[in-house]
Amino acid sequence: MDSNFSHKVWQEIELSKMVKEGIPFPMIADPGGKIGTLYGVYDDEGGVDVRGRFLIDPNGVLQAMEVLTPPVGRNVMEVLRQLKAFQHHQKTGELMPSGWQPGKPTLPPGTEALKRAGHIWEIWKVENAF
Amino acid sequence: MGVMVGKPAPDFTAKAYHNGKEKEVKLADYRGKWVMLCFYPADFTCV
Repeated sequence: MDSNFSHKVWQEIELSKMVKEGIPFPMIADPGGKIGTLYGVYDDEGGVDVRGRFLIDPNGVLQAMEVLTPPVGRNVMEVLRQLKAFQHHQKTGELMPSGWQPGKPTLPPGTEALKRAGHIWEIWKVENAF
Repeated sequence: MGVMVGKPAPDFTAKAYHNGKEKEVKLADYRGKWVMLCFYPADFTCV
């Protein structure tokens, strides 16, 4: 939402104290919430963009999104987990079951239990979700 | 208007603050890379 002048002041006064050299990626100004409106995260009553997060792949296709109201912050580790999962899927065609983390088993295409409905229980256990 | 997973992310061009300077950012210029696009209500918000 804020202007680039405001981004500069925030960077210099506060963010540079959290991250050496400041935030390394572009901080976009979105006057009037035009981009926020495109992505469905502009709250016209409050006049702000709410906390939206969009993961866009190298072909420009939206793969994942998360939207929160202002009081609660996001979880960077979850974004990285999703990024790794989508990258692994796009590279290998494997499916990434619920609770997947790097190092945990995936579901390769051709897996027996995937061929008939009702057999995933044989290879995926509730503990895999945690 | 709206966004949908599995569909192209809406393109936009905007002014951005980056490395101490103002520059223009166009989403389409990031083809070939993964992009995380984040919105937040305001600078100096605390979470």
